[in-house]
Amino acid sequence: MIEAPEPRFQLADIQPGYVIIEHEMYSKVARSYFSAEPVPPKEPYREGSQVWSFWEMAQSFRFSVRDNQTGKTVRFDELLGLLYYGCCKPDSELYRIGELALVNRIFIYVAIAYEAPDGSRLDIPLEKLEVLNKAFNGRLRTPDKKILILPDYFGLYKELSHGQIMLDFGLTAIEDRS
Amino acid sequence: MKLNEIAAKLELEKLTPAFDKDVTGVYISDMVSDVIANAKAGNLLVTVQVHANALAAANLVDIAGIIVAQGKRPTDDVVKMAEKAEISIFATALSRWQVATKLYEAGLR
Repeated sequence: MIEAPEPRFQLADIQPGYVIIEHEMYSKVARSYFSAEPVPPKEPYREGSQVWSFWEMAQSFRFSVRDNQTGKTVRFDELLGLLYYGCCKPDSELYRIGELALVNRIFIYVAIAYEAPDGSRLDIPLEKLEVLNKAFNGRLRTPDKKILILPDYFGLYKELSHGQIMLDFGLTAIEDRS
Repeated sequence: MKLNEIAAKLELEKLTPAFDKDVTGVYISDMVSDVIANAKAGNLLVTVQVHANALAAANLVDIAGIIVAQGKRPTDDVVKMAEKAEISIFATALSRWQVATKLYEAGLR
């Protein structure tokens, strides 16, 4: 087996868990959050005048990126998942940009953040995305290949379904039946 | 070991061309998040997962190729995505366990 040299930036503190998607009973607004509990919470609960009910879940993980040179660690708790341009509609802006980038062997992904309690999206600062890009590019072996993880400048979170994001939907449903 | 060599030894069906890549090891998983967290660049992914997101995850970590086991088949869209990413996809009726055994016998560790 060929061992690649240790990259400078590496995924660390990998914590398995679930992305829980819930919706509000009256307004039907949906939101998601990460749960590291072994048994994901499914009971409805009240938050002021709102009642939130479990809707769906996907297996996922939370992680940090460690800089092996400085020992500094950056957490990515606000990252819901990554969206690959190729999983978007061919007539979408992101797909067209992704195809342009592909000519130069650059593969475009978009970082989708969780919602804040007020319904707005959490912010993933550019400095953190730079670290994330370094971590994934540092793992590559193919010489001319590059990964580019962009912030959600496209407002994709408003229109995409959770199924388009790189999450493990369905597998937990299989486990529940077994 | 090259992808073409593995495809020949295991009599795999090529759904894409076998791109000229060295395989550094094997990773068996059906979970997108597991592949992102734990698979290594150059690994051969053995899976029954044929969702486009599995290909997206494989591309993110620079998987050399994918063996889709148990007679599963990705859609034409996913195969096209794989070709663009130069990730070879092979199909087989063998189970993941049988594929793992044969890969071990072929010399992959």
